[in-house]
Amino acid sequence: MLGPRLEGERGVTLITPTLDHVKRNWEWMTQPEATRFWGVRALDLRPEHAEKRFKENAADRTLVSWTIALDGEQVGMTGLFDIDWITRDAESGIFIGRHDLYGRGIASEAIRLRTRFAWDELRLHRVHNWIAVRNRGSRRANEKAGYRQMGRFTRSWYRSGQWHDEWLGELLHPDGV
Amino acid sequence: MMGAKRRRRSWPDNARMLGGIVRGKRTSLRVPTEADVAGLARLSAEMRVRGALTRAYWDEPAMPATWKERLAKQSEEKTSVLWAIESDGALIGSCRIEFSIDPGQFGSDGMGITHFTIDPDRWRQGLGSDAALTLHRWIFDIVHARFAHTELAAHNTGALRIAERLGYETYARGTDAHYGDGRYVDGLQLRMELATWDERWGATEREYPVPLGDELEA
Repeated sequence: MLGPRLEGERGVTLITPTLDHVKRNWEWMTQPEATRFWGVRALDLRPEHAEKRFKENAADRTLVSWTIALDGEQVGMTGLFDIDWITRDAESGIFIGRHDLYGRGIASEAIRLRTRFAWDELRLHRVHNWIAVRNRGSRRANEKAGYRQMGRFTRSWYRSGQWHDEWLGELLHPDGV
Repeated sequence: MMGAKRRRRSWPDNARMLGGIVRGKRTSLRVPTEADVAGLARLSAEMRVRGALTRAYWDEPAMPATWKERLAKQSEEKTSVLWAIESDGALIGSCRIEFSIDPGQFGSDGMGITHFTIDPDRWRQGLGSDAALTLHRWIFDIVHARFAHTELAAHNTGALRIAERLGYETYARGTDAHYGDGRYVDGLQLRMELATWDERWGATEREYPVPLGDELEA
């Protein structure tokens, strides 16, 4: 599913993704500056593949995706994935492609909007995620929204001469819904 | 012959996705066949099985024709292996593992156990322990995976005992991660390292217990 427009603060808005947004995100995913803790920089970049993936995601009832915009301009994406409608649990994820904008609180605001949607509109019970322990910015943004550590997966992946552990976080609906 | 190219050995693909025979003491993992479909379908519809798992058994209950299609599809899978578990010639369960073949994929060179199920009528007979040890011999002694991981519901004490005995350690506890039987239960994420296998089981559980000597290379 494609998420609806969610107005946030400080110019941050979650907007409904378009095919052009997907193609731009994929360009960012090939760049080392934006993918130190994310993905392996190897993608099928054919336009028809982007269109197919976009259509599949739009039709998939187990995910909700958004484009993150700052002052109306695309800067990344976020979403809730693998939604289990029985347990009412989902995995969350976020990617800021504009690495020149890191540290400005964009992810924190996007996570706040996404989490509020998960509780108030989807009536989820729990959201969880995996974040590289060394990705301090993403971890702090999630912690600010209330995520707490539930575990640690050691030596999960290897990059640039070192193993990386992952921080496993979770967040329960504040009213236990 | 000088100049002749050595022929590359071709590997049979289908032996990978429907698992071949791995023998335990009282159980065997073997290739699942269409003759197993009724048994697999019965396990998927068994509420004691569903209640013990953290997610649906291999798949949801369905018509026999659908189960045959699933088996055929599984045989073409490139990133998972399914086995039937047998004891005294009868089907008593099934298990399935998944792995990544993407380069640099997070968690690659590990094996995830997506389900491991013994017929509830055969619980508490030690068959689960034996089959689990057999499966891990495949994971560590044949594939040489860096680690194995799985998720268990916190109330599934029988499976947790088997996992602990094998050498699994809990690395995360998800609060209210699963729902069934009218209540939420926590989900435990567990992991076992290759080094643990070698240390705990290496002396007794080798696939071929007698090492081949270097003299055979002469």
